[in-house]
Amino acid sequence: ETCCCNYDLLVIGGGSGGLACAKEAAQFGRKVAVMDYVEPSPQGTSWGLGGTCVNVGCIPKKLMHQAALLGSALKDAQHYGWNISQPVHHTWSVMAQGVQNYVKSLNWGHRVQLQEKKVKYFNIKGSFSDPHTVCGLTKAGKETVVTADNIVIATGGRPKYPMDVAGALEYGITSDDLFWLKESPGKTLVVGASYVSLECAGFLTGIGLDTTVMMRSVPLRGFDQQMASLVTEHMESYGTKFLKRCFPTKVEKLKSNRLQVTWKNADLDTEETDSFDTVMWAVGRAPDTKTLNLETVGVKTNSETGKIIVDASEATSVPHIYAVGDITEGRPELTPTAIAAGKLLAQRLFGQSSELMDYDNVPTTVFAPLEYGCVGLSEEAAVQRYGSDNIEVYHAFYKPLEFTVAERDATQCYMKMVCLREREQRILGLHFIGPNAGEVIQGFALGIKCGATYPQMMKTVGIHPTCAEEVTKLHITKRSGLDATVTGC
Amino acid sequence: MAQRLALHRLLSLPARGSLVSQGRAFGTSAGRRSTFNVQDGSDFQDRVVNSPKPVVVDFHAQWCGPCKILGPRLEKLVSKLEGKVLMAKVDIDDHTDLAIEYEVSAVPTVLAMKNGDVVDKFVGIKDEDQLEAFLKKLIGA
Repeated sequence: ETCCCNYDLLVIGGGSGGLACAKEAAQFGRKVAVMDYVEPSPQGTSWGLGGTCVNVGCIPKKLMHQAALLGSALKDAQHYGWNISQPVHHTWSVMAQGVQNYVKSLNWGHRVQLQEKKVKYFNIKGSFSDPHTVCGLTKAGKETVVTADNIVIATGGRPKYPMDVAGALEYGITSDDLFWLKESPGKTLVVGASYVSLECAGFLTGIGLDTTVMMRSVPLRGFDQQMASLVTEHMESYGTKFLKRCFPTKVEKLKSNRLQVTWKNADLDTEETDSFDTVMWAVGRAPDTKTLNLETVGVKTNSETGKIIVDASEATSVPHIYAVGDITEGRPELTPTAIAAGKLLAQRLFGQSSELMDYDNVPTTVFAPLEYGCVGLSEEAAVQRYGSDNIEVYHAFYKPLEFTVAERDATQCYMKMVCLREREQRILGLHFIGPNAGEVIQGFALGIKCGATYPQMMKTVGIHPTCAEEVTKLHITKRSGLDATVTGC
Repeated sequence: MAQRLALHRLLSLPARGSLVSQGRAFGTSAGRRSTFNVQDGSDFQDRVVNSPKPVVVDFHAQWCGPCKILGPRLEKLVSKLEGKVLMAKVDIDDHTDLAIEYEVSAVPTVLAMKNGDVVDKFVGIKDEDQLEAFLKKLIGA
């Protein structure tokens, strides 16, 4: 079925940003189409409509993180009086099926939503033939041509494979594959220091698998480094093994079907080796723009990252071609920002709005076994911008009430608030490690968006007994050098 | 176990090529001819739209809990009618376009089809009495 009709808007990419933009545009009564296609991973994994977040990102990640947390809760339960025979065992396939079934229901839900909002859906891999024309082949091999007045590129990114490690592509998997495994990954090596690496290694450890993280340098680059260290410290006490300042050189398959990994230890200047059932690469993500044919139409990309360069209105170097989400240079790789940017773009194109996306003070959370939530500037970014003399950092080590009876170690439960020192003492950044960090930080993000100050925070009454209330009580400064441990009641 | 016995019996009969090779699911031996899994769009056209007998179409998904209860329940009642009504099962993940075409949004969705037209429909789980009434109406009308 060839289609040669003109749309008001064609969105290439049916993920968080693309679908939000398309559905918003359709609300204005526009003729909208979405092209979505998933190139199978090198291991052959594929999935349905909805993009990375739904299929191989946020959603399955959080569900598996929850599975791991439940494991810890079962251990705590004994202290609270429950008779649960230890040790408790986890069956991967039961969890995986539950997660995969839920994701499939979301794929369907998105499909139905497009239908209800009268957005035309093409399951084809599109590439540009000219600035207003995109064509591609259907699964059946039929050529489809679509023309549109406006085009939004929202094709996102895919996990990178290390190019200098023999056997990496052949024997390793990535997050694209992990969530769709039918059988347990077994003894796993996760290579990378990203939140993808730590979150995955975290839940694998939590469900009882022998898990190792290999990092060549610092964990969670770009995040507050004090907090990043606390995250990895907790993971170590939780049972995840770390190979720090190491990088892999080759991966070979053994007769037993296990994988033999060889790596260099930069600190000891030695070469080491071990065998694993699974090796997962979490060394970054890159946009898949090769097949889009961007050069043909002149859409400029960053030569280093390959990402599409956009201005504050998400416009590319070509009129009427825009881009949102992970594929855009310099933007956070997060679902909520992609969705918001997509919606605002549609409103500007078809709804007479001029509101631009605000990328400041975007809160986020790393769902490691002990979660880290943050909003605003890291301490080092604040120091760099304002100078250490002009900022005040209030901090506290606290113990969640729930940890007490369960005799859980709270060594890494910590929070800090970075404020300007002068005048109204505006809060620049808030960082929280502890249970439900995402839920804790979400509310405070509103305050920071409104320009909340330290005195205002101190006037805010806490809810008791919670961990979040400790934020409203932060009073010990780093500058004072005093012991920052606070106690509950 | 019953499925394997039914298949074994079938294999010893003159080859019903399409039924065996395409691995259609069998219910009880009584229901094996009344219920079938839709293979593709043209199969739906042949065996549902162009069916001389009325057909109930069960749109279901493997991730749908209630579908796993409704499916066998409906199948059992259809097989009791001994061929007066046929039952077509459509997995909406395998046949998304077909499901969208028939305006399925939630699952399970069951359509009653006669002479190519949708004459009745329900969404969600129903008990045996409700299903019997639904089927009776389809045959009677």
